[in-house]
Amino acid sequence: MNTSPDDNDQLAGEYVLGTLTAEQRREVEQRLAVDADLRLAVASWERRLLELTDLAPPHPPSTHLWGRIERSLDALDQSVPAASAPATAPSWWDRLALWRGLAGAGLAATLVLGSVLLTRTTPLPETAYLVVLVAPQSQAPGWVIQASSPREIQLIPLGVAQVPADKALQFWTKAEGWQAPVSLGLVKPGQRLQVPLDQLPPLTPDQLFELTLENPGGSPTGKPTGPIQFIGRAVKVL
Amino acid sequence: MPEPGFDYEACLTACAQGDHQALRDLYTQESARLLGVARRIAGDNALAEDIVHDAFIRIWTKAASFDPALGTARGWIFSVTRHLALNFMRNSARLVSISQDHEVASSGFDLHGHSGRIYDCLEQLPPARRDCLLHAYVDGYSHGQIAEKLGTPLGTVKAWIKRSLAALRECMG
Repeated sequence: MNTSPDDNDQLAGEYVLGTLTAEQRREVEQRLAVDADLRLAVASWERRLLELTDLAPPHPPSTHLWGRIERSLDALDQSVPAASAPATAPSWWDRLALWRGLAGAGLAATLVLGSVLLTRTTPLPETAYLVVLVAPQSQAPGWVIQASSPREIQLIPLGVAQVPADKALQFWTKAEGWQAPVSLGLVKPGQRLQVPLDQLPPLTPDQLFELTLENPGGSPTGKPTGPIQFIGRAVKVL
Repeated sequence: MPEPGFDYEACLTACAQGDHQALRDLYTQESARLLGVARRIAGDNALAEDIVHDAFIRIWTKAASFDPALGTARGWIFSVTRHLALNFMRNSARLVSISQDHEVASSGFDLHGHSGRIYDCLEQLPPARRDCLLHAYVDGYSHGQIAEKLGTPLGTVKAWIKRSLAALRECMG
């Protein structure tokens, strides 16, 4: 696609200003990886507008925030070297095309590959669908969903998610054409969960899965109400 | 306001080499300001802390990709944080309805006492158009939210923002 410098500048300005939709933001972020002109235009707008951050009054973080960050750093330090260790069991895990299709590609794939290889003790069953659930902001992977049959899925933690004491994680799914997400139950951080899907239509490619933060008994409305902690889409495994 | 004498770029270089203390130094230096930025966009303190957590992890994992030719190191960590916050707000609007009433209310914007080219250029815009830009940048409001907040038709808001950006660009170079 050919875009004029003016279009690029307008798009970059609205991206930095924050007025683009989720879809438009994703497109810009994908283009930024490959489009040096757009990168320059965005950088210029970041520079022009940066001083406006002074309009937001500073607010001291709670005392435990640094501790949380440090625990995440430690977890990263442990998982990254593991990911670069040679894989011993060649299987569909090694198929590049599969990982290429997953959200947050690089880091997510490396970390998930590393963690799953480490925790794997028995041969994997024939898997039909795979979902990597990543944190929406950082794209850091937190959970993997394996569906060895279209009627049942397994939610596997890659670490222990941080959940405030007065909150719970609730698991949801939504396929193309559904009116609203459907609850698959509450999830305990760090624990596997097996979910029969007998009340639902079979899994479909691109089906959305997410974990949101809800009240301890689950969402009072039967629909997600809290912030998304992890999100991902089903990828068919050949 | 950047702290004189604090070497942001050296911190990023050290982060890229795996030095936790360098990230800690950046945190000590800027976490309150970054949290301030995230709170205005997220409208919620707990969510803003999640965003700052993710921002520091991203700063850590992406430090090696920081390009000093494109901007300052301090600007980069603010951009990382703002875009995480904006992405979160835009993405979650798809599935989860976010409570309209922000816990961290947007007040009017007092530009007095702020100096810098951007403030001089903003002063030259009609107040309503200036507010569009500030609600977008500082509060993370979408076109629709700005229209609602200002009681102005959506199409007008979009056109104002487009023209105001062009005017800013002209004024700032």
